[in-house]
Amino acid sequence: MERFRERALVLSTLDYGDADRLATLFTAGRGKLTAFAAGARKSKRRFAGALEPFTLLQVQLVERRGETYRLDAAEVEATFPAVRADLPRIARALYSLELCRELLREREPHLELFELLLAYLEALEGGAGPTSLVGFELSALARAGLMPRFSPCAVCGGPTGERPRFDPDHGGVVCEGCAWASPQSVPMSPTEVEALRALQAGARTPLPRELRHRARALLNLFIAHHLGRKLKSVDFLSQVGFD
Amino acid sequence: MIPAPLGRLVAQLAKLPGIGEKTAQRLAFHILRSPREYAQELSQALLETVERVRLCTRCFALSDDELCGFCRDQRRDDGVLCVVEGIADLMAIERTREFRGRYHVLHGVLSPLDGVGPDQLRIKELLSRLGDGKVEEVILATNPDVEGEATALYLTRLLKPFGLTVSRIAQGVPIGGDLEFADQATLARALSARREL
Repeated sequence: MERFRERALVLSTLDYGDADRLATLFTAGRGKLTAFAAGARKSKRRFAGALEPFTLLQVQLVERRGETYRLDAAEVEATFPAVRADLPRIARALYSLELCRELLREREPHLELFELLLAYLEALEGGAGPTSLVGFELSALARAGLMPRFSPCAVCGGPTGERPRFDPDHGGVVCEGCAWASPQSVPMSPTEVEALRALQAGARTPLPRELRHRARALLNLFIAHHLGRKLKSVDFLSQVGFD
Repeated sequence: MIPAPLGRLVAQLAKLPGIGEKTAQRLAFHILRSPREYAQELSQALLETVERVRLCTRCFALSDDELCGFCRDQRRDDGVLCVVEGIADLMAIERTREFRGRYHVLHGVLSPLDGVGPDQLRIKELLSRLGDGKVEEVILATNPDVEGEATALYLTRLLKPFGLTVSRIAQGVPIGGDLEFADQATLARALSARREL
């Protein structure tokens, strides 16, 4: 059985039995994998403070027969304490973890997405505001091969015009003339199209609250369409008012 | 072939958390070997528990009446309210014999990745308890993990407008612990929350 070391971010954990824990890790070299941490809930020394969402670790793993790996050791590299002390940033960090967890397939390396997630957590630690989440979502989708198109029209390739519509089925914005082919599409304004296009191109100017909400709602629609379900932490973001 | 009633007992015991097939068998044989009164008392206790134990209508701890023993106890301090995630945490705090105030059990924590939001917890009930003006301090005793911290931060935001003292249980090195083996996060928290002597 192969034993190896990896840099990893904790995506989520699940209590198992009386004393153990299953950790879903996003490793730099081997992508998403599930690791079995024996005695993680009882032993305060072995994995103390390590198996917490968005903790950056150096882990020692052993490949086992079946789906899960065995977590032998975990050394904390970063805990992002400023994120942990601020509820809006906790909400954004957990949302970003869930998005990556759902975009990734088990055991498929995705170094670009790992680096993007780590950079986003570091930005949050440095005080990144709410618009950063929209920027992260767009970048994560692009790296997962699901980049929404904001111009030109996703159907005819022409300008999106004054009355564009957002159609997840066609992968982005469609013009008014092509709307007949997109019965599931939702209307959006040219300002929203431009804001999302600029964020996708790398702009980091904070969006006004209303525009940000609308951009997130459209991206939620897009993500739910492609993943087949709404992310669980979307409701949390809106319930606690940090959308 | 084991007798059918014994097989059913083993099967039921094996459904309990942490009990496997072999342990279930061992427990069943123990019950079988014990005096008949033991089995009667055990079955009586099981039935009574599921029939009579419910949640206290004020603090949501377990109770066999409308109000639990903690809420009925006149000697406890109405001015201090300790908010905990679950019954097991309440029992742990009670074992310290340090706390003589009242409790409020949330029955969970905010857990975005599991889809648990404020509406799934006893938060509205906590806020309605504060209306009578008796409570002066709320101690947030949720676990020091991400979900527990998120819950404490969320509650702080809701409780501050009441003009109460909102405090968080301390976090740091355990008594009898060894600094050399403490993890970075705990030690960092212990240093930042140090107190003057």
